[in-house]
Amino acid sequence: MVRRRAFVLIIIATMLVWSACQRQEQIPAAGRLKIVTTLFPLYDFVRNIGGDKVEVSLLLPPGVEPHSFEPKPNDIVRVKKANVFIYTNRYMEPWAMDILRGAGRSDLLVVDSSASVTFLPAREQQGEAEESVDSHGAENLHALRMDPHIWLSIPNAEKMVDNIAAGLAARDPVNRESYYKNAEAYKSQLRRLDREFQEGLSVCRTRMFVHGGHYAFGYLADRYGLSYISAYAVSADAEPTPVKLAKLINTMKSKSLRFIFTEELISPRTAKVIAEETGATILKLNGIHNLSKEDMERGATYISLMEQNLENLRKGLQCR
Amino acid sequence: MSVEVLQVTGIGFSYNTVEVLSDISFSVSSGDYLGIVGPNGSGKSTLIKAILGLVQPVQGSIKLFNTPLQQFTEWRKIGYLPQRLKFADPHFPGTVEEIIRLGLLAGKKIPRSRTKSDDDAVEKILQLMGISQIRKRLIGELSGGQQQRALLARAVVGGPDLLILDEPTTALDPETRGNFYALLHDLNRMHNTTVILVTHDTWSIGKYATRFLYLDKRVVFDGTFEDFCHSEEMTQFFGEYAQHQICHRHDAEGSGNNGFR
Amino acid sequence: MGFGEVIGYGFMQRALIAGMLIAVLCAILGVFLVLRRFSLIGDGLAHVTFGSVAVALLLRVDPVYTAVAAIPIVLISSLGILKLTEKARIYGDAAIGIVSSFGIACGVLLASAAGGFNVDLFSFLFGSILSISPDELLIAVALFVVVIATAGFFYNDLFAITFDEELAKSSGIRTGRINGVLVLLTGLTVVLAMKLVGIMLISALLIVPAVTALQVARGFKTTILTAAGCAVLSVAAGIFSSVVLNLPAGGAIVVINIALFVAAYALRKTRMRRRGVLS
Repeated sequence: MVRRRAFVLIIIATMLVWSACQRQEQIPAAGRLKIVTTLFPLYDFVRNIGGDKVEVSLLLPPGVEPHSFEPKPNDIVRVKKANVFIYTNRYMEPWAMDILRGAGRSDLLVVDSSASVTFLPAREQQGEAEESVDSHGAENLHALRMDPHIWLSIPNAEKMVDNIAAGLAARDPVNRESYYKNAEAYKSQLRRLDREFQEGLSVCRTRMFVHGGHYAFGYLADRYGLSYISAYAVSADAEPTPVKLAKLINTMKSKSLRFIFTEELISPRTAKVIAEETGATILKLNGIHNLSKEDMERGATYISLMEQNLENLRKGLQCR
Repeated sequence: MSVEVLQVTGIGFSYNTVEVLSDISFSVSSGDYLGIVGPNGSGKSTLIKAILGLVQPVQGSIKLFNTPLQQFTEWRKIGYLPQRLKFADPHFPGTVEEIIRLGLLAGKKIPRSRTKSDDDAVEKILQLMGISQIRKRLIGELSGGQQQRALLARAVVGGPDLLILDEPTTALDPETRGNFYALLHDLNRMHNTTVILVTHDTWSIGKYATRFLYLDKRVVFDGTFEDFCHSEEMTQFFGEYAQHQICHRHDAEGSGNNGFR
Repeated sequence: MGFGEVIGYGFMQRALIAGMLIAVLCAILGVFLVLRRFSLIGDGLAHVTFGSVAVALLLRVDPVYTAVAAIPIVLISSLGILKLTEKARIYGDAAIGIVSSFGIACGVLLASAAGGFNVDLFSFLFGSILSISPDELLIAVALFVVVIATAGFFYNDLFAITFDEELAKSSGIRTGRINGVLVLLTGLTVVLAMKLVGIMLISALLIVPAVTALQVARGFKTTILTAAGCAVLSVAAGIFSSVVLNLPAGGAIVVINIALFVAAYALRKTRMRRRGVLS
């Protein structure tokens, strides 16, 4: 019995060592700005703005769902060693504050990428499908929480890029020209992407899309005048009620929606149930919180993933 | 014709390197009423468990109905009433009937389905034990005496040839105790059921047992009660006063206190 | 939305059927488990499932098959719990605690060492009664048949062991084997049904209907039937009220279970008072 236990422990220890070796560690080169970002969009923006002048790392390992992320001691150490720490906004990463307290270095520059971004309230439906949660028509901002998924609206993404560039420039004035130049170049790519969206979603059979995951695409729907319903609210783990599911199914049937969306890193069970009932086809939408391992390996970027989203939206909304 | 119901040869048992039983040998014939007595910790219960295959002795062999214990499968022939403070928690949901029916499982193959003859046997034993009126009561709610009767009913419902009881009367008052022993006596005499009774209570040994075994990690005495009381060797071993205590207790109506320490 | 309208949907019907089948299984197994002081084994084995799914994903098993891959590990763990109670001389609850924390620790360590999983682990493991697919309904039916048949086959032996294990052994019952059957059936139920109805429901259904039935027990067989009845009723009533009151179904079922327990307890107290027994 003891021998078997030891054997099992050895197996586990071997697995741990083996997997630890799989993780790629970046070798720091002297003189480069060290930046730690929380979510993937920030990571991608920094890559584009900073280029080879910076060394950026992503706090969330690939495949991990951000709403249930818990920082580990290593993460806090990493932030301590960095020059700049960038987080999305205070609603998305409440644990960021804990990390900063733990890291406690005063010359660390903290960038809140959401400065000057207008937040939308967190809901479960958007646009035409809206049923007021408190049934008083006007939004009661105190009663509702804020939707943190700001990066899915491209104008917001541009603002985030500006905030990041300003942060990098402040911390590393020597390279500020380079940062601002790269930021402008990247923003023009973003604006082009925005135009693609507007054209691509201009003439569609329907302007409503149903999502079997949590309420992530509010900003995107708002930007392009779409109606959006999700099965779950902003928090990723509440269980939908039978009535909610029935209503979603009814909505899909009454609007003859042939497609339903599911998102990355979350189980597609709810979308599958709805698809079962309505005969709809399941399409993927990527909320770009974090990347799966495959996407990371394929070298996906914010823009490439948004382009995929556009393609799937066009299919799902049956656009011309 | 007398059948060797039980043959114990050279049994030794240790518990955590403490020797509990040492070189125990005796045999029991069909129709015997054997009492096993001895001080606390003398290994009586352990011996019983070894006989039933519930613990493994370190040495020695046991034969039940002329079959080595390891190969014995006719558990229907043996009824067992173990030593327990109580048999069930007050909220255990089994009724007296259901518990008694458990006594019939030994003779059957899985799934051990219930038959009409089972119901008849249970009915009979309820009458015999005088517990018909509590048949639907929960076992855990009964008094000590009622529980003992129910568990005894369970032990005998299958008509076993050998009945083994381990300290069955410790929790009973004197009158109930008397009734219990009378019942055992009837089973032994009228149905020729072999009885092995482990007890502190030498009064019942004196009154009913045909043989008794005095155990103190080893067999100190094996013979009839009469022989014990007239044995000079035993007088030497126990001292006159203790022997007197044991042998003349049957005048005092089984008050439960005995001279053994 | 009316109940009649919502119940017409396939997912609701599957929730009702699978839910009731699983409820019966859990209630029956639960009576034996609760009486043997193994109540938390459902919870414990769910933690082991977490760990074994971690192992499976680490070994790059296709997510569809991880539940199947988890089965042998969970079954072995359930036997391990039994072995611990026998050999290490500890009670069932501590044995469950050991295996359970080991399972979840493995899961956490391996998950973190592998740099996280490719899907949301929690939603992967912890199903929801409303998202049962037609294939999964078949699994529920198959599980029901297997467990009921096995438990029925060994019912008398299980009862004997639950009452007094030593006495059962002296009747020639192979107590080791029968105990093994009980924990294996429980392990199988937890692994498969957890993915269907979630860990909250499995744990609750293993414990509460049994305890409710024990409040008003008038015999062992009736206890089992009462437990099964309460479990089925709680699923039906839970789903009904979740529709009418627009609540999550799983939570409603658990709350109804507790309500039934409170009612049974009250009934028992009333009976006792009537009989003049001081409580």
